[in-house]
Amino acid sequence: MKKEETVKLISAEGFEFVIDKKAAMVSQTIRNMLTSPGSFAETQHGEVTFPEISTTILEKICQYFYWSLQFASGKETEFHIEPELTLELMMAANYLHT
Amino acid sequence: MEGHLVRLCLDAASKSRESVEIWRRQRRTLERMPTQLADALLRQLLRRRLVYPSLLEVFQQCVEEIDLKGESFVDAEWMAYLGSFRHLRALNLADCRGINNAAIWSITGMTTLKELDLSRCSKVTDAGIEHLLSIPSLKKLCIPESGLTAKGIMRLSTLGKLSVLDLGGLPVTDLALNSLQALTQMEYLDLWGSKISNKGAEILKMFPKLNFLNLAWTNVTKLSKLPSLTCLNMSNCTIQYIFEGEDGARTPLSKLVISGATFTDVHDAFSYMEASSLSVLDISNSTVQDFHFLEDMNRLEYLDVSSSRMEDDDLLKSVACVGWNLKDLNLSNTRISTLGVTTLAGKVPNLQTLCLSHTAVDDAALSYISMMPSLRAINLRNTNIKGFTNQGGQGRVLSLTALQNLDHLEWLDLEDTQIRDEVLHPLSAFGELNHLSLKSDFLSDISLHTVSSLPKLQSLGIRGAVLSNNGLLSLQPPSMLQMLDLRECWLLTEDAISTFCRSHPRIVVQHELVHTSSICQNAGDDGSSPSRGTSSASQARLKKGKSSQASCRFRRENFVDERIKYSREELLRLQFSAVLAPPHTGISGPQAPVKE
Repeated sequence: MKKEETVKLISAEGFEFVIDKKAAMVSQTIRNMLTSPGSFAETQHGEVTFPEISTTILEKICQYFYWSLQFASGKETEFHIEPELTLELMMAANYLHT
Repeated sequence: MEGHLVRLCLDAASKSRESVEIWRRQRRTLERMPTQLADALLRQLLRRRLVYPSLLEVFQQCVEEIDLKGESFVDAEWMAYLGSFRHLRALNLADCRGINNAAIWSITGMTTLKELDLSRCSKVTDAGIEHLLSIPSLKKLCIPESGLTAKGIMRLSTLGKLSVLDLGGLPVTDLALNSLQALTQMEYLDLWGSKISNKGAEILKMFPKLNFLNLAWTNVTKLSKLPSLTCLNMSNCTIQYIFEGEDGARTPLSKLVISGATFTDVHDAFSYMEASSLSVLDISNSTVQDFHFLEDMNRLEYLDVSSSRMEDDDLLKSVACVGWNLKDLNLSNTRISTLGVTTLAGKVPNLQTLCLSHTAVDDAALSYISMMPSLRAINLRNTNIKGFTNQGGQGRVLSLTALQNLDHLEWLDLEDTQIRDEVLHPLSAFGELNHLSLKSDFLSDISLHTVSSLPKLQSLGIRGAVLSNNGLLSLQPPSMLQMLDLRECWLLTEDAISTFCRSHPRIVVQHELVHTSSICQNAGDDGSSPSRGTSSASQARLKKGKSSQASCRFRRENFVDERIKYSREELLRLQFSAVLAPPHTGISGPQAPVKE
């Protein structure tokens, strides 16, 4: 995969998730960061750090991005959310506008 | 708006008692949860009936708004927990039967509270109001039909920030109103059914910011000029004068509801009022015979004259000349005939909603209706429409074809007309139609299949028709269909309907034999509520229809009468936002409070 087509999402603990740019764009917040002209450092390096989002939650978020792309293309599967993750995930999703 | 993942999380969090038990221990997370998420989560839990008093404790740091309307299990124990909420701004306890004076004691001194709704909490009396006096932050207080007396109402005068006060159905006397003069921030005052007299009405001048006033069912006959009033309801009053007083100062009154009012002299009554400022006028059920006063109301957008004595002549002389801005016109249950409709043609270029139900209008009117280019919704229920006209030598002409000219037509009601299968063909060309109601003994499978080709149809009613099981099962429903009303189709069997439901899970089917609740989740919230029809004529039917449906559609969730879900204020707002709403849903019916 070419570097331009991916983005690196970094969790609070410093774990890095490299995912398709297209998937990351499911989040309105990330989309704004990556597409706004010039100003953000994120735009240039293709890296976004989330000091508020833990690794477990960020992993789940990435899973959701890919699930969401599949869902949009017509594949209707269920996205399972473990009850212990719901609150944190909800707050992260709210921040990311997804 | 919530994102998709947020919604999935809300669903997961409120899936079951077990899932609640798992996340409720995450206290620190809950404490830093953004308010709007916490509010949404609590709302979702309430909807799923998963809240119990001690669970409320986890929300005490983050929730600002709680709506417990109609929840009869809310009692003093709930209130004790709610009293410890740190940031509670709005609390709705309307129709909570368990709420009494002692329960209210818990929220004394909650200085964050700005809005409190205790509508119809009949156990709340004057003693309960004493507890509220320690909440000086209150801006909005609704206590209609509670147990208050005039004495308790007078005590409210210390709540100096009040700007919205609903005292509907309470024995507010002139003296009590007099003591409320101190509340100079008052903008919205509801006094329906009170003991206010003309003398008391004079005091209303002392509220300089008053813009909404409801005096329905009172003995007020004269009203002096109120300089900032924009919305006035004097339904079921005997009206002598509105805004009596010296001329000069302009009044911004734009909405006037005088449904069921009687007049000593209707022209005197309106003579002081600036007719050209009105945009909404409801004179349904009134005894007015002479409608000349309408001629000056040239900004009128919404006019309801249903169940009045309006005749064709009045329509020609008065309505037609103010028709330019008219968007919503309700003529149902009047003596209007086709002749009247012909006079409107070409004079109402902006009319979007037209209600002619329960009139003598026949097929000849349809070609004139087709000359109202902005029409989106037409109600022809219970009229003489047959669907064809006999034109001399040419034989039968399908009259519904005329409506094909209306490019924006979205909503059509032809229930209780004499429509037959063979005249419905023109309907299949109505590309924008999303709601269609039919009800007739003469309809069969053929009609069902004719209308199923409508591309944008979301709600289809074909009641009382001779539909067969085969007809239903071979139906290819339009892709956007959400609601299929098959009530009184007596030939259908339970098996056939449930087979249909299984193969089309997105469609909510209404029928006497439907008992499954799994398909019934979003019924009734899409504007296709069953209580269509016009106010007075269908009140009785409306109630009957509701209860029969309640049994099949709302089994799982305790069914609450739709009307009490809305405050009076919301009802009025719904009514006045009539622009795109389908005409005359149940809510636009009673202007005046319904006493039951």
